[in-house]
Amino acid sequence: MTYDASAREDRGAVPATGSDRTFWGRLASWAPYRALVQLATATPRRQFLILAALPVLWVLTQHLGPMLQMLRVSLTDAYPVAAGTEQHFTFDNYLRFFGDRLFWMPFFRTLGFAFVFTLCTLVLTYPVAYFLARHVSPKNRMLLLLMLLIPFWVGEIVRTYAIMILLGNTGAVNLALKWLGLIDRPIPFMYTSFSMGVGIVYLTALYMLLPLYSALEKLPKSLNEAAADLGAGAWTRFRRVTLPLTIEGISSGCTLVFLISTGFYATPVLLGGPSTTVFAETIAGFFHVAGDEWPTGAAFAVIMFLAALILTTLFQKFMTGLRKGERK
Amino acid sequence: MTRGNRILLSCTYWAFVAYVFVPLVLMVLMGFKDSKFIGFPIRSYTLEWYMGIFENAEVISAFAYSVAIAVLSTLISVFVGTWIAVLLEGRKFWGRAAIFGLTVLPALIPGIISAIAFRIYARYLGIEPGMGAIVWSHAVHNVPFVVLVVMARLSTLPKSQIEAARDLGADPLIAFLRITLPYLIPAIMGASIFCLLLSFDDFVRSFFLGGYEPTLPVLIFAKLKSGMSPEINAIATAALVLTAVVGVWAERFTRRMNKES
Amino acid sequence: MTKLILNRRKLLTTAAMTGAALASPAYLRRAHAQGGEVNIWTYNDFVPAAFKEQFEAETGIKINIRLVDDQGKQFSLLAAEAPNPTVDIMTVAGHRFLQFIDSDLLAPLDTDRMSNWGNINPTFSESDWATINGHKWGAPILSGMEVLAYNTDYVTPEEAETWDTLFSEKYKGQTAYIIQDMMSIVMLMKGYDGNMVEYLGDPEKAEAIVKEARDFLIEKKPLVRKYYDGGAEVQQMFVNQDIMLGHSWNGPAAALINDGFPLGMAIPKEGSYGFVYTFNIAKNCPNPDNAYTFLNAILANPEIGAAMTKASGFISTYKGASEYLTDLEKKSTSFPDEQLANLQFFRAEANEMKYGFVDPAVEAIKAA
Repeated sequence: MTYDASAREDRGAVPATGSDRTFWGRLASWAPYRALVQLATATPRRQFLILAALPVLWVLTQHLGPMLQMLRVSLTDAYPVAAGTEQHFTFDNYLRFFGDRLFWMPFFRTLGFAFVFTLCTLVLTYPVAYFLARHVSPKNRMLLLLMLLIPFWVGEIVRTYAIMILLGNTGAVNLALKWLGLIDRPIPFMYTSFSMGVGIVYLTALYMLLPLYSALEKLPKSLNEAAADLGAGAWTRFRRVTLPLTIEGISSGCTLVFLISTGFYATPVLLGGPSTTVFAETIAGFFHVAGDEWPTGAAFAVIMFLAALILTTLFQKFMTGLRKGERK
Repeated sequence: MTRGNRILLSCTYWAFVAYVFVPLVLMVLMGFKDSKFIGFPIRSYTLEWYMGIFENAEVISAFAYSVAIAVLSTLISVFVGTWIAVLLEGRKFWGRAAIFGLTVLPALIPGIISAIAFRIYARYLGIEPGMGAIVWSHAVHNVPFVVLVVMARLSTLPKSQIEAARDLGADPLIAFLRITLPYLIPAIMGASIFCLLLSFDDFVRSFFLGGYEPTLPVLIFAKLKSGMSPEINAIATAALVLTAVVGVWAERFTRRMNKES
Repeated sequence: MTKLILNRRKLLTTAAMTGAALASPAYLRRAHAQGGEVNIWTYNDFVPAAFKEQFEAETGIKINIRLVDDQGKQFSLLAAEAPNPTVDIMTVAGHRFLQFIDSDLLAPLDTDRMSNWGNINPTFSESDWATINGHKWGAPILSGMEVLAYNTDYVTPEEAETWDTLFSEKYKGQTAYIIQDMMSIVMLMKGYDGNMVEYLGDPEKAEAIVKEARDFLIEKKPLVRKYYDGGAEVQQMFVNQDIMLGHSWNGPAAALINDGFPLGMAIPKEGSYGFVYTFNIAKNCPNPDNAYTFLNAILANPEIGAAMTKASGFISTYKGASEYLTDLEKKSTSFPDEQLANLQFFRAEANEMKYGFVDPAVEAIKAA
């Protein structure tokens, strides 16, 4: 009998098929409900306000709130406030960054790394996304895409250690090369910007792959064929047709990856070398060592985030300009 | 497209698959190592680590705790995210751009910064560290992903269907529940999987906002203090297999739903 | 339609299972409710599982453990919770007492309430760092030290007798150390007091010494493979043979030795620093009586101390704990007397001044 019950219940979830004065019909004719709907939708204005109330409240209190709170902490001289002392407003935490060259190196290094890794991710994943969207039958597409995504869900730490076992002096790669007779002494891959890159691209590939894939998937095949009919070679077709039409995907993928890569902490710390200290490490230091450094940490976090935001905004402007230029 | 190009592309794809999977294979393999540390050479193998997971109450309880947090936070994210998407999609109003910008903000803030911001804000609001705080932070962090996915699907909803329902006398709420919502189900499912996995995998927010009960990633991090052991690899493998099964099941489910509608 | 129904049923089952998981008391329980509980912040494996079970069964007091992974985090968390913390017992290293005491976060220990206090080796319980302001502040449980660890297949014990080997061209690109800890050791190598207590009245001299140590480490930066932070990292570097020797705490190194890895460790002749992990009671803690019951119980017999050593690799502070260790475990947790003579404990008196200079120096070394 459960079969019947669930079947009837199901009808409620899918669009009406025929005359069913079941739950929905009864609800619609129930007087209190009707009064409520009447009240809520009396004017389009009221309807809109009710619709907008929750989202506006949510983004202001939940999305903006934490950031504002952090901004506030970054402008104070002590946090958490010790008993019996007063908190003062100050810009010192920001000035500390600009006043000490010590912090500039990791800062600019982080931006540099983020730029390079974004570029690497783009170059690596574009062909993959292209292959998936253009050369795989739609039936298998989802499966092949999903296959790529599953590994991204292994915890960052465990995966990072797996990369150490891959690249270490007695790691899988060195063992394989030795076995093939290509090397006698292991190649020190680990604790360089290379090993760090291997770890980071792993983290960013997903965020690049998805926008690229959806941009490429939307691309009509006919465009390419038309270009081919006009005698354009493969490279010309790619450069003149595919690339310009996927600029939006490239731009959103790069923006996302760049912003996210400025904030990586565990992977650079574990896979990087003595000369690859990133700014997130500097920031984290202020929160780990002692409680009274929180304001400085917060100020540095704000500086990092603003810098990344400004750079990506400029980049987006540039890409939009490029797109317009191509259209002419 | 020439044949050579096609082969080249397919090679790139499979090379990428190798890059993504080799560390994973190593992780699974190391779970069988009969030692307290991972790495080559492997002198002898054991099943002990994998079997041990099912007897380890700490791991099982951390796993269940993580799942509970993931489910609760996803429910909130999906509810709020869908609502925001419905507001933003296809409507023009003053301040829309600002609301959209604020909506995606949590997704753009680097992990550690966001965790600290949440910690400070939780203190300000008087939310005590613990399950509630973790659920809250995960829910907020995941809302943008739901909004983006649902908005994309919503933009393809044929307007005529809603209009037809309205003509038949349905009020906006019923029209939404009976036409729009069922149409959005695949997107909501997709977004839910994404949220579940993001929450399940999160370390940094769970750590800063957590209490005495560790989530699985927090437990793994604490265990790491006494060395990266095959045990951790075995736990991570088991968790991965479970999430992968859920992912594949959900993908098939969504695909079927797509066909049905 | 059939498929859809099946799926719905599956979905409902899943939902029911999730519901069951949620209803299970373990997750809904308020971790720090009043009554039969004791809340502990500690490292993984510091409270042996067998002891925990037995204690809970015998006393009916539930042990809630929050795993932490460094001293600074405990301080931040506790500072955020003060003056009414959720925690009863914390795990603070002896040389970090002062920071906690100055911020009024710890309660002095009433050793009379612990009949088993005498089970601790007096080297640790009566040491100079252990008594501050006339009070005891923690029950010593495990002792650690900064050692030079080396792969015995490649490095000889003679080479490991001096910290200089760590900075030699011979092992270029095959060494690793924690910068903060290395700063103190370099000061010792250069003949200064790495605790900086001697220079309390002379900050200028202290600053000059820190600068000298900093410049030394910057000069030697091309030789080092990795500045690391955690024990798991240095273990992995040894296993992967990415390094042949490095500075390490004895705990992680001992764990590798016990696993059969060809590793040796030494306290070099220039000297080194030791530290002691203690269990402490938080000021205004919610369950002080249970906390004392717990402390007394965990000090009850040397077997518990041995279990802690087995799990962590650090040396037990209990009298007679080594009798319960295997030969390999004994070897990995003991040093020759002439090496032990070079060891001194970290001291906290000058920490504020010291780390005021050292922290920026560490940033400078990383940035260089």
